[in-house]
Amino acid sequence: MEYFKSGLKSVLGGPPPGTQPTGPETVEKLVSRVSTSTLLEDRRDACRALRALSKKYRLEVGAQGMDVLRQVLELDRADPEIIGYCLDTLCNITSKEIFEEERENDVNPNLNVGEQFSEMFLKNPENLPVILSYLEEYDFRVRWPAIKFLISLTTCKPKEVQEIILVSPMGMSKLMDLLAENREVVRNDAVLLLIHLTKSNANIQKIVAFENAFDKLLNIISDEGYTDGGIVVEDCLLLMLNLLQNNTSNINFFKEGSYIQKLTPMFVLPENLEEIGWSPQKVSNFHCVLHLVRTLVSPNNPAQIITSCQKTLRNANLLEALCSILMASGVPADILTETINTVGEVIRGNLTNQEYFTNVLAPSNPPRPALVVLIMSMVNEKQPFALRCAVLYCFQCFLYKNEIGQELVVQTLLPSSSGNTAVTTGQLLCSGLFSNDPLSNWFSAVALSHCLIENPAQKEQLLRVLLATNLGAQPVTLLSQCGVFLQHTSKLQAKLGILMLISMWMAHCPPAVKIFLNVPGAMAFLTAQTSASEFDNNAELLQGMCAFIMGLCVLFNDNSVQNYSKENLSQLIEKRVGLETYCKKLNEIARHELYARAAKQPQIRAKHSSELLLEFEFCKLFKIMEGSIIQALGVQRDLSNGISELSLSEHENALLLQYKDLIRDQDKKLQECQRKYAFLQKQFEDVKAQKDELQQTNIQLIDQHTLFKAQMSSGANINNLENHQNDNSAEIIENLKAQLAKKDEELADKIAELESYQKDQDDLLELLTAQDTKLNKFKEKLRQIGALPKEEDSNSEISDNEDDNKPSLL
Amino acid sequence: MSYAYLFKYIIIGDTGVGKSCLLLQFTDKRFQPVHDLTIGVEFGARMITIDSKQIKLQIWDTAGQEAFRSITRSYYRGAAGALLVYDITRRETFNHLTTWLDDARQHSNSNMVIMLIGNKSDLESRREVKKEEGEAFAREHGLVFMETSAKTAANVEEAFINTAKEIYEKIQEGVFDINNEANGIKIGPQHSPTNPSLPGAGGVGGSQGSACC
Repeated sequence: MEYFKSGLKSVLGGPPPGTQPTGPETVEKLVSRVSTSTLLEDRRDACRALRALSKKYRLEVGAQGMDVLRQVLELDRADPEIIGYCLDTLCNITSKEIFEEERENDVNPNLNVGEQFSEMFLKNPENLPVILSYLEEYDFRVRWPAIKFLISLTTCKPKEVQEIILVSPMGMSKLMDLLAENREVVRNDAVLLLIHLTKSNANIQKIVAFENAFDKLLNIISDEGYTDGGIVVEDCLLLMLNLLQNNTSNINFFKEGSYIQKLTPMFVLPENLEEIGWSPQKVSNFHCVLHLVRTLVSPNNPAQIITSCQKTLRNANLLEALCSILMASGVPADILTETINTVGEVIRGNLTNQEYFTNVLAPSNPPRPALVVLIMSMVNEKQPFALRCAVLYCFQCFLYKNEIGQELVVQTLLPSSSGNTAVTTGQLLCSGLFSNDPLSNWFSAVALSHCLIENPAQKEQLLRVLLATNLGAQPVTLLSQCGVFLQHTSKLQAKLGILMLISMWMAHCPPAVKIFLNVPGAMAFLTAQTSASEFDNNAELLQGMCAFIMGLCVLFNDNSVQNYSKENLSQLIEKRVGLETYCKKLNEIARHELYARAAKQPQIRAKHSSELLLEFEFCKLFKIMEGSIIQALGVQRDLSNGISELSLSEHENALLLQYKDLIRDQDKKLQECQRKYAFLQKQFEDVKAQKDELQQTNIQLIDQHTLFKAQMSSGANINNLENHQNDNSAEIIENLKAQLAKKDEELADKIAELESYQKDQDDLLELLTAQDTKLNKFKEKLRQIGALPKEEDSNSEISDNEDDNKPSLL
Repeated sequence: MSYAYLFKYIIIGDTGVGKSCLLLQFTDKRFQPVHDLTIGVEFGARMITIDSKQIKLQIWDTAGQEAFRSITRSYYRGAAGALLVYDITRRETFNHLTTWLDDARQHSNSNMVIMLIGNKSDLESRREVKKEEGEAFAREHGLVFMETSAKTAANVEEAFINTAKEIYEKIQEGVFDINNEANGIKIGPQHSPTNPSLPGAGGVGGSQGSACC
């Protein structure tokens, strides 16, 4: 401290005698020195002093010095020393942690100074690229503090830094080059920086992967001695995890780039591991590797990716390695737990891998299947909770989409199995199912229920299982024992487990429903629970579950149990519980917090055994069945005449359906006829109206006709009387016209006759005149001859002419 | 899966020119007519054979949208080959080629092989860019050119394989420094110990090395 003070004195030229400058005053002086001094050495010393004060007087240094320090970064590029001080100072003031020195100043711990200074620094988008450019500077005094400053900034403001780095040219490339750094401390901090930067940013993750991150990191890991290496190995694995989690593109790249094969050396356990034991670092490293493998085959990934990764893991003998760790001794419990989970996900839904797992043997004497050994741990109260959960999950993964595996387990319970005395999975599960440990009950019930998923054959097979409860007593079926146990146990966890098993069993399986209905007291128990009104300690879950089971009993009932036929059960629900209450109880399940948690993912995510009440596959079943149950009960309510559809036998039901069809058909026909009738009626009305109208017109026309006739007979002009629209009158007119034409014709004939007569007459007259002339000539001649007197002749001549003309006049 | 070399490719070009379809056709031999916008970058891989050597191609399919341009830039440096794609039915995608090329040249290593691709050659009736124009552009800028159809798969194999051949030849000539992984080339795991002197030996040594194996 003395040395530091003397150094400070030399920088400030010594305080005036007698007064000690306060911290903030010193900072102020130093800042002005950095900004105004023309000598590099002075600026450098001031920067060094600022760095020394930046922890204790962080607020002052940051508030007053930020701009000046930024200036230095741009102007004094050439001097690594001052840049180093500068970066260190900036790193301190933006740090998220609260320094020891600061505490003496009693700062407000809630006020996050580091975050605020980070924000200030990042506000100007040009600042960060300057720091990135210092990564290219090889000098240790510059590069290292630059990385540390970036870590500081990224810890405080990850999103902002990520965005700026993505848009700054070659920003990520510069960071990636740091992994090749041969000074370990720089390289290790670069890994840390990348861990912060790759958090939840897929684009950065992909660029980092593209820049050969996996090669570089695996090289570092192998240089450090794989899982035996130090914390660097853990950091490298964490970075790899960041790159792969939820990033399908990178997982694909990881697989295609044959990096899975490069993981194998990590799983090799030394021969003498039991002697040397597991160091805490090794445990951490191993956790990370297992997590890495799980990330590749996580059930959340696309199915195609999972399958191909599972295949690669098997071919790279990683599944084998994992199984051997499973069976090795001296492995810490938490590693063992995580290994069990990992094995589970590596085999989940992959028949080849599941088959491989079936054949894994534990090195016990005599050798037992690994599966049996695992189940033993699951139903063993003394084992850690997490381990037991892991075994259940692994077992579920083993049965997932694995009909052969399901059969294999159920087979071990059937009476026909040979006199083999070796312990089997089925036996372990059965004893676990009815043991005194509620968690074992729950685990065993869920495990058994997974043997029945989408497997009708095994549901029927399991019905054949008989248990010898007491010495000398009649053996009872497994299902009825479940029904009995359900009523006897007082533990909620056990009850729910058993109920989940029963529901999985009875869904789509009427024979199971039949057996369950025959269990003495079972229905009474369910009814009592469903109509109960207690509402604490997750009792609503039990009530909802009982309601669900009742619903399944209705839904998959073949009416073979007389007292509990479909109709009876429906009435029971309606009368004893009430449909409204029933639906409310049923809804309680889906509304429960534990349901939401269990339905989210197949993995078992419980920290404490009390959280284990519901299970993923059951939630799936419930979601599908809930609607059908409510619908089935709703239908029953609609039929108000007492005969419910549900009470009918198969044959009657079919008949009913037939009649229903018939009625529906007839109904349709009737409607059709009614429609036709209405149509015809309307048509008829229309026609009638038309007819009336026509009649009206007809009468009118007749009248008109008579009128015409009268008019015609009275000789009036036809053309003045018009009624053209009328057909009859037109006809009459036509007639009249025709008559007229006829008359005209006649007239013309007559005229022609007349004319011919006139012509004849003219001819005759001419002839007459000619005769007259002749006559006169003859008279003249006669007179000349003297045979006749002159006057008499002339008179007689006139009278003759008059007589001749008379007929022509007529 | 052993291989002699591993080449890293990137596919670049305007949005909607069919980059993702080209990749899908090459890796999966199928065509997806629905345009799904690429977000950021997607990865694909396939093995090919050149000169009877197994070569693994790792291909990063980038997003064409302007918003992702800065992200795309991060991929140039580490790539050995780039497929620069335009759409023959949309002239503007051809007009933007210079921008893409400038970007690529600025951020990549100078040896990166760029293959110019006029995609959608099956849509002849809607063609807006003549084949000759593409050829001229490629000639002018020293690129290899090809018209492809991701739909009918015409020339798709060839595009990827010819690019690989170019790179392979450059390796034989000793142009690429194979030891620098930033170039987008890796020597296969079984290949490196038997042929350690290949990369450093220069042009003559390189060709000799290839002749003897």
